[in-house]
Amino acid sequence: MIYGDKNTGVIVQGATGKQGRFHINLMNRYADEVGGKGVVAGVTPGKGGQEVDGVPVYDSLREALAEHDASASVLFVPGFAAGDSIMEAAYNGLETVVAITEHIPVHDAMCAISYARLEGCSVIGPNCPGILSPGEIKMGIMPAHLAFKANTGNVGIISRSGTLTYEVVNELTRAGIGQSTIVGIGGDPVIGQTFVDVLERFENDPETRGIVLIGEVGGNLEEEGASYTDLPIVTYIAGVSAPPEKRMGHAGAIVEGGEGDAGSKIRRLEAQGVTVASKPSLIPTLIREML
Amino acid sequence: MKLLEFEAKKIFKEHGIPVPESFVINSPEEIGDQASSLGSEVVLKAQVDVGGRGKAGGVIISDVASAKKNAELLFSKEIKGIPVEKILVEEKLPIEQEYYVSITIDRAKKEPVILFCATGGVDIEETAKNNPDALHRVRVAPILHDIPPFMMRRLLRGVPAEIGPVLNSLYRVYCDSDALLAEINPLVTTKKGVYAADAKLIIDDNALYRQGIRVNRDLTPRERKAEEYGFSYVELTGNIGVIGNGAGLTMSTLDLIELSGGKAANFLDVGGGANTERVCNAVRLVADMPLVKVIVVNLLGGITRCDEVAKGIVEAGVSQPVVVRLAGTNEEEGRRILKENGYHMLDTMEEVVMCAVKEAGK
Repeated sequence: MIYGDKNTGVIVQGATGKQGRFHINLMNRYADEVGGKGVVAGVTPGKGGQEVDGVPVYDSLREALAEHDASASVLFVPGFAAGDSIMEAAYNGLETVVAITEHIPVHDAMCAISYARLEGCSVIGPNCPGILSPGEIKMGIMPAHLAFKANTGNVGIISRSGTLTYEVVNELTRAGIGQSTIVGIGGDPVIGQTFVDVLERFENDPETRGIVLIGEVGGNLEEEGASYTDLPIVTYIAGVSAPPEKRMGHAGAIVEGGEGDAGSKIRRLEAQGVTVASKPSLIPTLIREML
Repeated sequence: MKLLEFEAKKIFKEHGIPVPESFVINSPEEIGDQASSLGSEVVLKAQVDVGGRGKAGGVIISDVASAKKNAELLFSKEIKGIPVEKILVEEKLPIEQEYYVSITIDRAKKEPVILFCATGGVDIEETAKNNPDALHRVRVAPILHDIPPFMMRRLLRGVPAEIGPVLNSLYRVYCDSDALLAEINPLVTTKKGVYAADAKLIIDDNALYRQGIRVNRDLTPRERKAEEYGFSYVELTGNIGVIGNGAGLTMSTLDLIELSGGKAANFLDVGGGANTERVCNAVRLVADMPLVKVIVVNLLGGITRCDEVAKGIVEAGVSQPVVVRLAGTNEEEGRRILKENGYHMLDTMEEVVMCAVKEAGK
């Protein structure tokens, strides 16, 4: 459990929108199943006094925290307002903000993440599926049924992509390999917690004994991350066939100025001695061999 | 979205960055008498969005008398495949020295990064490779409004101090315009002062709404249609259409196609929670590309309902074969709908890809 456990109280920012409502319900159903605290309050400016799925909604995070004990928030706020909401969470002392929101302007992301760092708040995302620690807590939108049910897994997963994570989790679960925590760090060019930050936590996590790192074209965060950890690690990099200067779905998945293409990423990882899977279906076998 | 040089220069000028005197023409006739006001020689620059424009013949230095004739020549050209529709007519600067400056994002540090090079000019990539020490680099925390003096001194070691204010103004342009890239190459000194001889500005697509930009010109008509539907869509050169949910899974499907000896024609990410209508639109859009011989649908999700997806595929009724892999909610119902309508559903990503590659090779 690297970002929260059963006892973590969660607030949802942007609670009254379609996505907020839907996922408050799913997060709390999961919390009920595992005996966790789950979502204790919601925040939507101007909608204070309402309830979503039995969860009280407040106008501000400050008001919510006056009534409820929480240390993390999950953000379903639209892109134009998401930067502000991240800063609101950091200012009010939350330890973790999971920003699901996509299409947040990158300058807003840079400012909000920079400010959150000053306040000692860890931002996961934006444009991410969030966190799932099986048997403990779900903060975000990952389909929990794909993961190992009981908390008996020891493989940690870090990924820039949502559905590709689900694909890999599905493969691991089918192969009988349990997961400790699954973290989607997001597909934008600027994200709060990078591979290095998450790996640092996995290194100190007694539950985690091996890592699957799922990357894609764009930037060089994967190489930086993989060289950081001493844990056994298998990586997979999507976008081998991605042409230069085209954004492959994610704002951050672009080969620019000859940098960040999957081929050279894979070559650099292999030069570091890191095992790279050529397709997702090979990941379970490779990680099992290492553990 | 990439701005054209004259559009970027307008923004630079508004932020106090000196730019050469100039005007824009849409046809050779428009050049008229205006050119003589710029001096005895002018520079004609094709306004096309390609790198290496000068080397590709997109820039002509001309005396005023033959400016119209040279404009005609430039309008008749295609620069790296792009027809010339606008020309920027500029005064010719008496250049003493050329520099390079750009501001981008340092993804690892999550901050803007400024690169400055005292030996600027056309071949900055070569300089970066062969003489990396010539490239000075600082990061500016996004909570700073200006480049602090100590950073400025570090950037400008041994170059004229009057370049400093231009760098700071460029940093303001970068922030105010929601830019992913702001670049001046070359930044030049003349007897009269410092000028941005060229200008490059790429605006964050996610911030176009607050930059007063309505239409993203960088998109092809099909890409624009995809944007209206809310899909991520990229066109490629193969013959297999690819639909997935989530950028990573869709990209991974593309890779598996290549690994299996096939080639994708396009990439469409329908996003989360796709219903019948969205899937129908997606299948038709992908099938609309004449290259496409077969379509792969690879969807996996918690919110996405397989029966809805199956109905969408059937409703689209495209002429190309569609091979499907669906996993998740209501999978059995989806399988039944597809089977009843003569479509085939496979169990894994690899099976569906193998099947499509075989079909495309026929």
